[in-house]
Amino acid sequence: MTICQFFLQGRCRFGDRCWNEHPRGGGGRPHSAGPVRGAGGGWGAASQRYANVIQPPIFKHSTWGGSGDGGGFSGASDFGSPGNKSAVFSQNRFSALSSAHPADGFSDEEQRLLDCVAKDMATWESSGQWMFSCYSPEAGKPNVSGFREFSAEEVRLEYYNCSANNNTENYINSVNQLVQEWRNRLQELKALNASGKESLLSQLKNAVTQPLPSLGFGGQQASSFGFPSFPVSSSSSAASFSFKANPSVPPGNAAAVGSSAAASNPPTFGVTSSPSVPNPVGSGNSSAPSAASFSFKTSGTTSGCGTSGLSGFGSSAAANSSSTAPLPVSATPSAATGTSQSGASSASAAQTAGASGHNVTSAPSAVPNGIASDKLYTPRSELTAEELEQFEAKRFTLGKIPLKPPPIDLLYL
Amino acid sequence: MREKQLRTRRPQSAVPTPAAGAPAPPPPLCSRRLRREARPAPCAALRRAVSREVSSAVRTRMSLFGSTSGFGTGGTSMFGSTTADNHNPMKDIEVTSPPDDSISCLAFSPPTLPGNFLIAGSWANDVRCWEVQDNGQTIPKAQQMHTGPVLDGCWSDDGSKVFTASCDKTAKMWDLNSNQAIQIAQHDAPVKTIHWIKAPNYSCVMTGSWDKTLKFWDTRSPTPMMTLQLPERCYCADVVHPMAAVATAERGLIVYQLENQPSEFRRIESPLKHQHRCVAIFKDKVNKPTGFALGSIEGRVAIHYINPPNPAKDNFTFKCHRSNGTNTSAPQDIYAVNGIAFHPVHGTLATVGSDGRFSFWDKDARTKLKTSEQLDQPISACCFNHNGNIFAYASSYDWSKGHEFYNPQKKNYIFLRNAAEELKPRNKK
Repeated sequence: MTICQFFLQGRCRFGDRCWNEHPRGGGGRPHSAGPVRGAGGGWGAASQRYANVIQPPIFKHSTWGGSGDGGGFSGASDFGSPGNKSAVFSQNRFSALSSAHPADGFSDEEQRLLDCVAKDMATWESSGQWMFSCYSPEAGKPNVSGFREFSAEEVRLEYYNCSANNNTENYINSVNQLVQEWRNRLQELKALNASGKESLLSQLKNAVTQPLPSLGFGGQQASSFGFPSFPVSSSSSAASFSFKANPSVPPGNAAAVGSSAAASNPPTFGVTSSPSVPNPVGSGNSSAPSAASFSFKTSGTTSGCGTSGLSGFGSSAAANSSSTAPLPVSATPSAATGTSQSGASSASAAQTAGASGHNVTSAPSAVPNGIASDKLYTPRSELTAEELEQFEAKRFTLGKIPLKPPPIDLLYL
Repeated sequence: MREKQLRTRRPQSAVPTPAAGAPAPPPPLCSRRLRREARPAPCAALRRAVSREVSSAVRTRMSLFGSTSGFGTGGTSMFGSTTADNHNPMKDIEVTSPPDDSISCLAFSPPTLPGNFLIAGSWANDVRCWEVQDNGQTIPKAQQMHTGPVLDGCWSDDGSKVFTASCDKTAKMWDLNSNQAIQIAQHDAPVKTIHWIKAPNYSCVMTGSWDKTLKFWDTRSPTPMMTLQLPERCYCADVVHPMAAVATAERGLIVYQLENQPSEFRRIESPLKHQHRCVAIFKDKVNKPTGFALGSIEGRVAIHYINPPNPAKDNFTFKCHRSNGTNTSAPQDIYAVNGIAFHPVHGTLATVGSDGRFSFWDKDARTKLKTSEQLDQPISACCFNHNGNIFAYASSYDWSKGHEFYNPQKKNYIFLRNAAEELKPRNKK
């Protein structure tokens, strides 16, 4: 059959009824001139399949990325990239893996898992299914880290609570942050580089010992929702952490910190119970401005807070080496800078954070004395119980991130 | 003469055009003669439009639902509306005065109560009770309020009490005779599931909550009889004595045994890859609970036996609630499975999903029995009545697409369908 030229441009008006062929993959191309908004937009392949009723492809591309009102432009840019990426990706994915395979030295079993992960990520992205879900490539394997899990009811309850307080904007922002986080993690898993693959495989093999990740930051909390609690005055607290307010940056961090700073709501985010709320902020302020000065001052980092292991900054190093904001640390190698920018929540990042931390002591930031050592790893004996606990936890609790580098035996190297 | 023939012919020729499933276009009402002749025509169209199974089932089950269901459902909409409105493509019976916000749970009364009573909990903080009569009429009976959205509800075994679980972190016991509700449970986070357990030596209410605990309550005491820790937030649960299955966040899955006192029986590796959404226990031929069906957000249901002779062969998963079958390699749209219910007599199961469809399946023959037409809203809950004659499903928004697609003005529906014929299992060859 002849290929429909209009479909390739994303504007075939016959849709399913069209007599020409609509090749898949070609239809993934965005069309920016067409109506971009959610309901019924001329979004190429997607809208043609569903004349009315629920339109998941449109949803996933346009409105979900942007805020409720100004979904137009940001929606366009959002669906431009995943659309393109998935189209290109699906065409190149297997060729990339097959060429890499002999050189990588992965066994068949592992390769199969990696393929499975990549495929599932592509499906997840394109299918419009619920995004706040955990994931595991195979039944019986532990969950892949980096995915926050919320049920639809929890999200809905947050919305209802927020609209009761006239706070829907906060809800929207938090949700957007979570979406961004999800998307970043998904892109990462779709295009794993070597170190990412290593860490993923070790995660998957490490079946028993991983405790089920509590929501974000060590939260065992009364109000178990773990949703980035809506900071009453996010700007002020953000400022105290030199946080260039950018929604894609480790969102949970900022929001949680914001909430603890505001401290007017009982912190739902699990940053320990309320009496100790001022402490994390206090210590956070004093001990982590160095961390903050290079952890949060970035734009568009991938993978935010969720990732453990090397995959987090492996890719962000690549992404960020060009886009480093002006930092006081020019002497550190760019890899370390990249890692520290990806949010201090992976053990290895902490290591380099510690490493570059002590470079920062020379810079004029108010850093306390604990970082004077030049060692790459601290022996266990030197760590306090709390620091040890932080290193052993799946994720760091904000405000308690140790400044000393972790002991070598806790690292995956 | 000619003119008269022309005019009278028009309504009849107009009749075959509506596609199957769409209501007949309104007959031209310009003359009385036309109206008299037009009246039987939509009836014929209806019979053609409605699927054969339903109409035949309805006709054979006169005692349950009386005459053709078409007239029972919003009869005015057939005659009055001009738009093809898709809120009830299956032409099922609509329950009168449905809740004002999304329905989170449905439950029919147990067999100990004569007649059929249906309760529905909703996000409008209320739980409503209807009497469902044999002719399909539903009569609203009573309503109770919580201070937060109601997430789950269940009946006691004698049918005198209804237990409701809500986002206000409490669970209440509603005595239907006195129409009083008292609080019987307290959690630290919204209570997601509630079930009544009737064991030979004890009875209690089991509540699962997002505070990662499972608590068992004697309704007379403010402290729980027992608290069990869950690995993560409780997302769904089901109880068929002596077994209880609880699915939690992060793909947690635990089975409890309830004899003597509830205790954890086994933690099971999840057979699914994504978030668990609903679970339902099924029984074997001798009416003992033997396994469960687990649905996820990823359009997949896993059938899992507790002690199968051959686990690799007996346990399986199947895909459901996805768009465009397997025709092209085009990316499918995948919808969450919002509810699973097993037919109490046949053992076949029904699943309802975010795509606005329900499907009936035979798990032993591993086949699909039927898939419905697509409704214009997701189906958020479903249940069977005690003898399996009625299948109830609720059409309301389940938040699967976030707040942008939430329309508080959109009407929510609960539909009742005759389930005796369609859920008969396929005969295995």
